[in-house]
Amino acid sequence: MAVGQLGVARAVRLPLRARVRELLDREQLLGPLFVTPALLLLVLLVAYPFAMAIYFALSNAFIGRPSEFVGLRNFIALWQSDAFRQTFQNAFVFTGSAVAAKVVLGTALALLLNEQLWFKRMIRGSVLLPWVIPTALSTLGWWWMFEPLYSVVNWTGTALGLIDPPGPNWLGQKYYAMMAVVTVNVWRGLPFFAITILAGLVAIPRDLYEAAAADGAGAVARFWYITLPLLRPVLAIVVLFSTIFTFSDFNIVYVLTRGGPINSTHLFATLARQIGLESGRIGEGAAISLYLFPVLVFVVWAQLRFVRRQAY
Amino acid sequence: MIGYGRRRLARKVLVHLALVPFLAFALFPFFYMAVTSLKTDRELYDRQAVPLLISQGPTIEHYTKLLWETAFLTWTKNSLLVTLISTTVSLVIGTIAAYALARLKFPGVGSFGTGIFVTYLVPTSLLFLPLAQVVNWLGLGDSKWSLVVTYPTFLVPFCTWLLMGYFRTVPKEVEECAMVDGATRLQALIRIVLPIAVPGLVCAALFAFTLSWNEFIYALTFTSSSEEITASVGVTSELIRGDIYYWGSLMAGAVLGSVPIVILYVFFLDYYVSGLTAGAVK
Amino acid sequence: MDCVSRRQFLTTSTAALAGLAVLDRAPALGQAREITYLCWNNFSPGSDKKLAEIGQRFTKDTGIKIRIDHIAHAQQAAKFASEVQSQAGHDLVEMRMHFPWLYEGQLVDVSDLVAELEKKHGAVMSSAKEAAFVKTVWRAAPQYHALFLPNYREDLFKKAGLKVPDTWEDVYTVGKELKKMGHPVGIPISQNYDTISTGSVVLWCYGAMEVDKDGKTVRINSPETAQVVEWYKKVFRDCMEPEVLSWNDASNNQTMQAGKSGWIHNPVSTYIVAKRKKLVTADGINHSRSLTGPAGRHEVDVPRSIGIWKFSKNVEPAKEWIRYLLGKREVYNEYIISGEAFNLPVFANLQDHPVLKTDPKYATLKGEGVHYHIYGWPAPPSDRVQLITNSFILPNMLAKAVTGTPTKEAIAWAEGEMKKIMAG
Repeated sequence: MAVGQLGVARAVRLPLRARVRELLDREQLLGPLFVTPALLLLVLLVAYPFAMAIYFALSNAFIGRPSEFVGLRNFIALWQSDAFRQTFQNAFVFTGSAVAAKVVLGTALALLLNEQLWFKRMIRGSVLLPWVIPTALSTLGWWWMFEPLYSVVNWTGTALGLIDPPGPNWLGQKYYAMMAVVTVNVWRGLPFFAITILAGLVAIPRDLYEAAAADGAGAVARFWYITLPLLRPVLAIVVLFSTIFTFSDFNIVYVLTRGGPINSTHLFATLARQIGLESGRIGEGAAISLYLFPVLVFVVWAQLRFVRRQAY
Repeated sequence: MIGYGRRRLARKVLVHLALVPFLAFALFPFFYMAVTSLKTDRELYDRQAVPLLISQGPTIEHYTKLLWETAFLTWTKNSLLVTLISTTVSLVIGTIAAYALARLKFPGVGSFGTGIFVTYLVPTSLLFLPLAQVVNWLGLGDSKWSLVVTYPTFLVPFCTWLLMGYFRTVPKEVEECAMVDGATRLQALIRIVLPIAVPGLVCAALFAFTLSWNEFIYALTFTSSSEEITASVGVTSELIRGDIYYWGSLMAGAVLGSVPIVILYVFFLDYYVSGLTAGAVK
Repeated sequence: MDCVSRRQFLTTSTAALAGLAVLDRAPALGQAREITYLCWNNFSPGSDKKLAEIGQRFTKDTGIKIRIDHIAHAQQAAKFASEVQSQAGHDLVEMRMHFPWLYEGQLVDVSDLVAELEKKHGAVMSSAKEAAFVKTVWRAAPQYHALFLPNYREDLFKKAGLKVPDTWEDVYTVGKELKKMGHPVGIPISQNYDTISTGSVVLWCYGAMEVDKDGKTVRINSPETAQVVEWYKKVFRDCMEPEVLSWNDASNNQTMQAGKSGWIHNPVSTYIVAKRKKLVTADGINHSRSLTGPAGRHEVDVPRSIGIWKFSKNVEPAKEWIRYLLGKREVYNEYIISGEAFNLPVFANLQDHPVLKTDPKYATLKGEGVHYHIYGWPAPPSDRVQLITNSFILPNMLAKAVTGTPTKEAIAWAEGEMKKIMAG
């Protein structure tokens, strides 16, 4: 009897399992199923804060006080402010130059790391280091390096004969200050580019190169016609991430210059903090942080389409 | 044969030479931070001293201060716990979501992808205020578990998108071949696609790990007591007092907060990446 | 198989997570008599230890448990904002300068408590009252204050036979000599709070101001401000180095501790840290009385006060803690002394405090005949006045002027920015 029951149970289960298997093979089902955990997490945790953030930007919210909806008033008012317009410009200069530097240097570094190396582990570990040092502390280290009293940057530059003493006042002059914060951002972000691109390079089948080489393609041609196109999906995403990270960068400027001299290095995040937190005006602070939100949403959407299309 | 070997050697030397400026750029600040952490206070404040050398004798006082006079070890333990759990969870959720978004055709796939990413566009420097409310509703105020729960909100989109890129680089035919051979899609994913994408997975894990390792604003605002806070928050609040910076110990914190992780990475990264390069070529 | 185990892992780990979260939370439920207090990391680590000890005694004496958390002062704004937004967090918070105004609506009225304290220790000093007495009520109990004053290298002054400055004009006179000696004056002109601290004092001593007493009328464009700007220009040119354009709050003290600056305007932290770290400059640093000018002797002050959030469910026990810490004379004295003269008493009868006798160099901290104010004075620190402060308009006006913008133009720019804020 017992055996018989078991046999029946098995007989029922087998088709069930097969059915589940078959269902899971359907893209219309498996797709949503796979996306659900991520979506659930975000809806449960972020939906409310996200909606609130947008509401803040459209209201006169002040910390701890009742608020009113004011439409786009914050956005319009901000454009009247010198400090904001300066910040807007800074953000593009900062992000543009930092991301460009990181793409070029990062790709170069990844190509180098993909070569045969003698101290492979040590070199890869060293390259990674800037990304790993806790940002809150590494930016302090950089401040200590640029600070005029002990500036080791100027000391080393002078010792190597690259600059005349006393050297530039890195954090006290407009262009130098921007250069300084961009440098630190590139220093910190380069490992992300180099290593993610390296992982992309590693995945490119080597026989493609061999075939191209056999056809007489030079190194440049191979890079241009094989490496770059195959890297494109990875590159596109890395650039997208980095652009967003860099746009919303806070720590470097906050520690190095607090937005100075005369607002010439203020970024959205640092200005938002100055107005939204230190002065309590959450509404305006939110509007500053979200000023580019519509543009970025469009970029993300376009990027996604681009990535999905790529391989088909 | 010999000529070929020579050429390869020359190329190798050249590659190393080209790496020198990159390494100098990456390592110089770290070197300086490490040197700073080993100097006595007196030498740190001596502006005549050579900044790159330790001339008045190295000291470990900044390390002992950090390790024994503050709760650094507890904070580091918290950081590790939060980081490990949130990274693992995010990686799993991110992997399957990325696969679906990169490979599968189903209605609404585009909006799913954008939706997951859009939350990323609201800077955390702002999101933390209403998120603090959510944390409280969950009853997780002043608990490191609030971080375990909230970190995936930025790690999952990150892992998803990064992995999407890598899944794209896996030729579709490889997977289709397996399926023609009778494997289900799941089997194809686990046996074929994931192994090929391992460098990408390692990469995503690595960067997700450091993103949460370095996270500051959530840790600052969602936790308060010394038993719950993470290393970044603890170190900066204990060692920056008004306009007084404990430079030596701060830099000691930077060293201790990074070197062990780099060593871990080097082993993992190297193991997987080199292991797989061979596998992928076939 | 792989897939199943992975999913199993996921569910178990989520379940474990939820379980642990509940465990962590448990103590929060049964606490009728437990309070939490968020303060900043005191300049003096010894003061934090003393506070913990006082907390333990408080629990023994009253049966009320207390948990004291610390946070860096730069992070207070973010932390307070998140506690207010989520209506949860600590019961008591230590606030700096004008914070009670910013969080006015969220703080319990503690007027009765302050009245008790004043009865015991005498009236609260003007600057502390400006900070915590919001419109008509006390929103926080004044705790202690940290004042700015001239820090100078006594050894260098003696060696060169220089007179210790008593007016801002004197600073220029000795500053020229100091710069020649390689020990320039160090007054920051950058986007940091020390720049506001010094800039405001110079404004006040020359009779200038940012916003009038009514809290509405912008008064920055005045002949007095022009005098101040001219003073800054010549001091920048003849007494200082361009380094001051890049400084943050720590730079002036570090530059003096390193033996470079000959004169700076800062709290006593410069000296105390030099002494604690046994730096070679420690013996040479001394303090002098706050400076005077055509409009009198003014100084900037950083008062700190303890507020109770309205959302707190433990208002009475929280008040009990304030009574214990600030009201009990012996406890308060002990607490003040543990701060090594970083923290000074804010009550009239305690001004001649024993802590000032712990080192002969603290004698000048008594500050007799000096008018102490907080940022924005004489305007009350309303939201808009605070926004003017936090937008670094004063520092940027000075920075523009010393780097080549004509005085008039720089002042007009500042006036325009301030008016925009007042109108907005």
